[in-house]
Amino acid sequence: MSPASGARSRHGAFILLRRLRHPLVLLIVVYAVAVAGFTLVPGVDPGGRPWRMSFLHAFYFVSFLGTTIGLGEIPYPFSDAQRMWATVSIYATVIAWLYAIGALFAVLQDPLFRRLLHESTVDRMVRRLREPFFLLCGYDDAGHRVARELTEDGIRVVVIDIEPARVDAADVDDHRVPVPALLGDASDPKSMTLAGLTHPHCVGVLALTGSDAINTKIALTARLLNPDLPVLCAAHDHAWHPRMATAGADHLINPYDTFAERVAISLRTPSLHVIYEALTTQAGTAAAEPLRLPRGRWVLCGWGPFARTLRRQLERLEIETTAVGTELDDSCDASNSVRGDPSDATVLREADIEHADAIVACTEVDIDNLAIVLTAKGIRKELFVVARQNQRRNSMVFRAAPTDLVMLSGYVIAGEVLRNVRAPLLSAFLRRARDHDEAWAAALLARLRESVGAEVLESWSMSLVPAAMPAACAALARGEPLSLRRLMTRPDGSARMVRAVPLMLQRGNERQMLPSIDAPLVEGDQLLFCGRALARSRMRGFALTRALAHVAVVDAAIALEDAP
Amino acid sequence: MSPERVLFAFVIVLALTLNVGFVVGDLRDPTQHNVYELFGAIAVSLVATVMKFGDRSPLGSTMLATSLVADLQLIASAATWGLLASGGETLTSGQSATVVSLAIGALVANVVSVVLLVIEVASLRR
Repeated sequence: MSPASGARSRHGAFILLRRLRHPLVLLIVVYAVAVAGFTLVPGVDPGGRPWRMSFLHAFYFVSFLGTTIGLGEIPYPFSDAQRMWATVSIYATVIAWLYAIGALFAVLQDPLFRRLLHESTVDRMVRRLREPFFLLCGYDDAGHRVARELTEDGIRVVVIDIEPARVDAADVDDHRVPVPALLGDASDPKSMTLAGLTHPHCVGVLALTGSDAINTKIALTARLLNPDLPVLCAAHDHAWHPRMATAGADHLINPYDTFAERVAISLRTPSLHVIYEALTTQAGTAAAEPLRLPRGRWVLCGWGPFARTLRRQLERLEIETTAVGTELDDSCDASNSVRGDPSDATVLREADIEHADAIVACTEVDIDNLAIVLTAKGIRKELFVVARQNQRRNSMVFRAAPTDLVMLSGYVIAGEVLRNVRAPLLSAFLRRARDHDEAWAAALLARLRESVGAEVLESWSMSLVPAAMPAACAALARGEPLSLRRLMTRPDGSARMVRAVPLMLQRGNERQMLPSIDAPLVEGDQLLFCGRALARSRMRGFALTRALAHVAVVDAAIALEDAP
Repeated sequence: MSPERVLFAFVIVLALTLNVGFVVGDLRDPTQHNVYELFGAIAVSLVATVMKFGDRSPLGSTMLATSLVADLQLIASAATWGLLASGGETLTSGQSATVVSLAIGALVANVVSVVLLVIEVASLRR
């Protein structure tokens, strides 16, 4: 337990006790007076002799007096004096009880007490975590999607957000595993520690709040308090990139850059874009048709970081652009830009929309973007339309609008985060794949289609270490040669290979794209595969439980494994 | 000097004095120990316990602990008396010794409480 969180959870109990001091003292005093009174007031026993209650009887009688107003007069019928005292006692104890219970409820409703209770509940949940978990800061569109997909894989997540409504959403959302959600400021190191920043099982921090400044502060806090922890930071403004990198963010995720790069990839190497989509989206397949983006002039509506980075990517591909916006700053080349409201048809005509091929509506207001799309489509039907969506709740209207591509920055960020978390090698592979030409990508795509077909494409990493692949490492230790072919062959003697394609081999800092399946492997190698989900579970199964395929099998003819 | 602190010290010292008043006398003679004094000691000791609730200083926590010990001993003493004297019987000298010695245990806890109170006040002065 961290000292800060321990002190906070004890705090809650202290507040409860301190606020109940007055009602409890009143209760004790009222009870004491009532009990003492009953022992003093004279009574008469059935024989007519004077009688006084003992303390035991008096305490017994007063105890049920306040709560039930009596079970009768015991042990003998009361004298008038005793009845008078009983009446006084009834009013006094009932009032004392009402006051005490009222005070108790008031404390339980107290915002401070509730916050402390909430913190200690989350603290307890986090401390009890015995599996690796990610600390997710910010639970809006991006955080929500990341949490959902990670928990679906059975990976634990702890959420921290400053908005009560979003924390409630995290509590209410139906996750497969419980997700502790802390209402707190992610830029406050105390809240971060409470949410498990220094927990031994914390495996990474995902800084996905909407503010670049807060994300930077999260990266800095994580780097100072738990230096070995990888930090993924979302950034929207390029000005913050160097600061975030200095603060210790291991990965920067800029949704605008990511999207602009994807547009550039599908313009330059359409096959690679299909591979990219197949590998990075949930239900992506290699059989999908490449997206055909027009190479004519693009009109970018709404100047900002997104339009700027998209224009840079398009200009690199020698595609003409025209920027339209009400506020065009110095970073915008004045020669091919138009100042004005882009949802106005005359302004769009001024930008020569009649002779453009594509329009990108990328203002920060969803309604404006939809208005631009509709106005532009009204002028020229053949336009290719890219729209930026800012809020997830507007998804329905964006789906209904005549758009070809929708960019929701929360989802773009979530996709990047998940790719980094699930298969760190995949990011490296995709980065390197961009350097290759269309012929290379088309060949790879053909190979994927041949081996995986129209099935959903999955990617997975495997490390050649004893903990993950005991049989293979034992074979290496005996000095036996080991190749990818042997790893991918079924160990049941059928000589069939799993339907998977090795994408990358990482040895130390060296990365080899599309390694040959006969290349020898050494211990410590990291492998990236893609293929059907079935192939993934088979290969993991071979690696962990079964023996390796026999060496002789390697020389046998290789038959592809048939359908299950 | 705040009224709250006066009340606090008053209750703690009163718990001690009532306790002393009860145990003084021959251990074996029940007539020398007044039942009302024991009752008063219990009531005041309970109030003292509640007044120490929510004090987060180390001294405050120790005082709460000693106070709880005093409550426990006094209630045990009273319960023993109530059980042994059921039906209006008077206590034998042995039974009386049991009841009073339980209260003497509470007396020790109350003395510690008062000592802690004095220490706290003294450290405040410095």
